[in-house]
Amino acid sequence: MPGPVTVFAAKKIITMDASVGEATHVAVRDGIILEVGDLDDCAAWGPCTLDERFADSILIPGLIESHAHLLDGLLWAKAHYVGPIDRPDPSGRLQKGLTDNDALIARLKEIEATMSDPTKPLVGWGVDPSLNDPIAPITRHELDQVSKTRPIFLLHASCHVGSVNSATLEMANYAAIRVPGVLRDASGAPTGELREMAAMLIAVKAVAADMIGGSTDAAQFYNFARVAQARGATTIVDGGGSTYFDPAFLASALAATEAEDFPARIVAHNNGITVPGVDDMIKFAKGLDGKGNDKLAFQGIKIILDGSNQGFTGRLRPPAYLGSGENGLWNRAPDELRTLVPALHKAGLQIVAHCNADQAAELFIEAVALAQAAHPRFDHRHFIVHGQMLDESLLRRMASLGIHATLFSNHLYYWGEFHRAHTFGAFRAAALNPAATALRLGVMVSAHSDTPVSPVDPLFTLWCAANRVTATGRVLGPQERVSAYDALRMMTFNAAYLLHRDHEIGSIRVGKRADFTILARDPLTVDPMTIRDIPVQATVVGGRVFPVG
Amino acid sequence: MAEQIPVAVIGGYLGAGKTTLLNRLLSEAQGVKLAVLVNDFGSVNIDAALIAGRDGETISLVNGCVCCSIGDNLGLALHDLAERSDGPDRILIEASGVADPARIADYAGSHPRLALDSIVVVADPETVRMRARDKYVGDLVRLQLAGADLIVLSRTDIVDAETCRAVRLWIETEVPGARLALSPDLDHGRMFTSWTLASELPLDGTALRAALATLPTEIVRAKGIVRLLEAPDRRFVLQVAGGRWSLDAEDKDVDPLTKTRSVIVCIGLTGQLDPARLDCHFAGVARTVGPADLVELLRRGASPPREPHP
Ligand SMILES: [Zn+2]
Repeated sequence: MPGPVTVFAAKKIITMDASVGEATHVAVRDGIILEVGDLDDCAAWGPCTLDERFADSILIPGLIESHAHLLDGLLWAKAHYVGPIDRPDPSGRLQKGLTDNDALIARLKEIEATMSDPTKPLVGWGVDPSLNDPIAPITRHELDQVSKTRPIFLLHASCHVGSVNSATLEMANYAAIRVPGVLRDASGAPTGELREMAAMLIAVKAVAADMIGGSTDAAQFYNFARVAQARGATTIVDGGGSTYFDPAFLASALAATEAEDFPARIVAHNNGITVPGVDDMIKFAKGLDGKGNDKLAFQGIKIILDGSNQGFTGRLRPPAYLGSGENGLWNRAPDELRTLVPALHKAGLQIVAHCNADQAAELFIEAVALAQAAHPRFDHRHFIVHGQMLDESLLRRMASLGIHATLFSNHLYYWGEFHRAHTFGAFRAAALNPAATALRLGVMVSAHSDTPVSPVDPLFTLWCAANRVTATGRVLGPQERVSAYDALRMMTFNAAYLLHRDHEIGSIRVGKRADFTILARDPLTVDPMTIRDIPVQATVVGGRVFPVG
Repeated sequence: MAEQIPVAVIGGYLGAGKTTLLNRLLSEAQGVKLAVLVNDFGSVNIDAALIAGRDGETISLVNGCVCCSIGDNLGLALHDLAERSDGPDRILIEASGVADPARIADYAGSHPRLALDSIVVVADPETVRMRARDKYVGDLVRLQLAGADLIVLSRTDIVDAETCRAVRLWIETEVPGARLALSPDLDHGRMFTSWTLASELPLDGTALRAALATLPTEIVRAKGIVRLLEAPDRRFVLQVAGGRWSLDAEDKDVDPLTKTRSVIVCIGLTGQLDPARLDCHFAGVARTVGPADLVELLRRGASPPREPHP
């Protein structure tokens, strides 16, 4: 028995469909779109409930976050956000960015005052001195002002640095630790800044042990989806590394996402990161095929080729990093990738490849060419994640091999100035994340936040791709700006295409799922520089309305 | 404070010979309890006869050593070893082929019970110079070598002397002041002697299998890469360990007419291994024939007249 028909009225519906671009009403039944047009068109399906709460709003296809990490949800569950960037938390409250150490200390004092157990560690995340004004280190001297007795541990946004107070240094016995990453003052005493995991490990074990290793905490799934939903996402990718092949983890994920009120769909990549052997990688991925539910699906297998550009661990082609000429690190050996990629390709899997810098992308393209020569496959939709330094030559080879990409457009804003000054120099910074060239050459590109690296916010990501403005207001590479329409398409249809789901989501068309994002203003007609400020009013997932705020 | 456990890091690019070295150190350790942390159990071929038991991520050996999987967190695996009540005397960490061993070595200072001993980088004399020029990994291979306290050239018992000499010279130029060791001399020292059979021509598979089936017991290990008349388009990998032998074809084709030397190295205890006896034992395995005969042989695959090994 088909369910009741609901018709949503909007000031304007932007369908992103190739054939029919605009409408005012959309009829939905059982989570599926029945009709798109005006009220009369929708009435052809018989009696309906007219829902007019969005009558003054703009209704667009549900926005898709094409690369993010579940870790974001775990951090919200286990630690206090105290970073410099504004982020809405899972309860919908905006956590204002703390952009100097005084604000940070004041906020930590507030949190400290609410903690009843005096021995419980205070754990925070998201701090980033490089974005603070003024740039100043966060040492035990600052954190001791919050408490000299309660252990404090702050994980930086990069996840490569930690800041701790004297209580943590004592508790974890840092006097006996001899790691270069434990920074010391002139007298040889630790400053409380811990660089890289080798230096942080003993502090993490002592005060934040539940942040390492797999957690089955159900809250991480809800938080992950809720934070994205608050910024308009209806589908969000868990971009690899999670252990869904572990029955306990899978059970927790299924239980969390099955709930009626789970606020977004999660598409999770299979784990090609922490699973060591290719046989297990394929076995686990095939084992999860079809194991999901309406809001959890498994698609593609994620592998990592290099590190991070701002962490100086991306693999660059010559002349490598600005000034030093040094290069980053491979995550897997190129020789191994030349057999791994063809093996995954031959097994029929879709490969999702983290390639931050251009040499990593070049190697991946080379490996896919080997795979295609040995086992030609159509429509595999392998795609590159980040692909920040792709150029026309690489993009043309990608187009011919069927490789696509999701670009890290948020980098232009948050790290654009840093890349210009410290990693790549002027030309390469201006050429970062070349969405316009990619689209012109027929490469299907989306863009992403990589949360927790940058906040999940699809409208903001769209704004970055359209405007390419840095945090200080400079336009980086105006030639690579895309139109608002193309940017919206990147965050909807193109993302759905990358996930092999463009027949279900990514545009508003009869027969597709009723996933919508409701905006207060039209992103295609406002000044593109104001797109990031458009309020998200609600999302609709499978016909169910999820309010924002 | 209790005595600290020395930690050594074994680095080197993929295929350099790290696992072979670790495997040998594990099985030949005597009177010292080694713990070896590896990336992948599958790649470490611990002789089944040496395994006392397996418990999750740890394999225990009859000689008291253990081999542990790093899993996805090296630091935790290392701290776990440091905190065991029956902790090891020494810890060896296998760095991944693309890691900077110096960064891995940072972990040695991350626990009060541990102390860094040395960074050892393994290099394959036949491929290291080519790797060092590779556009993808050249800088990494040079970085690994430069960070080493000791560079171990692997497979020097199989690779010809000229190549070894050239690569030693190259390393001395590339990494001035580098300490170099040849793998056969390392650690297990002068306890073992080796005997080598080398032939420019393919070997007689039937005679070779017969010789392997009746190997003198003083041979503790033998290995080799050979070509056989019966399948000249393949290379075969020969392994002898713990009284068992295998001779398996590689799955990639080689041109039957390219010159690949066949080399077999037998290792035994010094004083027990008798080279003259082995010469006799392997007589008939390698023959001397002229190039024209060889082409004919490869075509026919037939047995040539038997002649003793020169
Ligand atoms: Zn990522």
